[in-house]
Amino acid sequence: MSTLQNYINAFTSTFLVEESDLANLKYQDIAAWDSVGHMSLMAALEEIFGIEMDIDDIIDFSSFEAGKKIMLKYNVKMD
Amino acid sequence: MIENSKVQALDIKSIINNQRNRYPVLLIDKIVDLVPMQRATGIKCFTYNEWFFPGHFDDEPNVPGFVQMETLVQTFILTFLCKPEYSGMKTNGVSINNIRFKKKIVPGDVLRIEATLESFKRGIAIGYSESFVDGEPACRADFVVAVPEILNKFKPKA
Repeated sequence: MSTLQNYINAFTSTFLVEESDLANLKYQDIAAWDSVGHMSLMAALEEIFGIEMDIDDIIDFSSFEAGKKIMLKYNVKMD
Repeated sequence: MIENSKVQALDIKSIINNQRNRYPVLLIDKIVDLVPMQRATGIKCFTYNEWFFPGHFDDEPNVPGFVQMETLVQTFILTFLCKPEYSGMKTNGVSINNIRFKKKIVPGDVLRIEATLESFKRGIAIGYSESFVDGEPACRADFVVAVPEILNKFKPKA
């Protein structure tokens, strides 16, 4: 499975949303992406990619797209 | 507050200082065994003077399920609220799963609650509690509990 697909799966499994809804998805756009959902998403990404995210990156992780750039800091490149 | 992992018990004053439940919903009397960030064992003694017995039920008093749940979760949250950095913080339930009620609890029963903290990260606590009366299983459940004061530190910018 590609890195991008793993990234997508973290969102769809955490928030129970369709892949087609992710492109413009931002924090608090949906009820599931609240502060608790945000922590669940961060935990899912850390587990999938074997990383530990810094607090500043967790705060900056405000959308599906923004997250892609942040993941680059952890050498997680979307292919 | 617990300053290190060697303290082994909490009396009612310490429980009140460490968590925010108060009468009539403070539903544990003491913690008899405590390893911060790992486990806690709580005790709740039920007498007929409890506020819920006359209503549940007048002809057959027994402890309501929601009260049993509270004894489990209140013991559970003390596994981390006993730490100085979290002491006194409010908690919110996120989920309760795999609930099992195995025994009717009646006036005179002493409930022993054993809580285990499986993980605590960025204000999300995951674990479970089991309770017993005279060594017999009474109730159990899995918990996810959030600490909003900690979660708020990790909120994305608007």
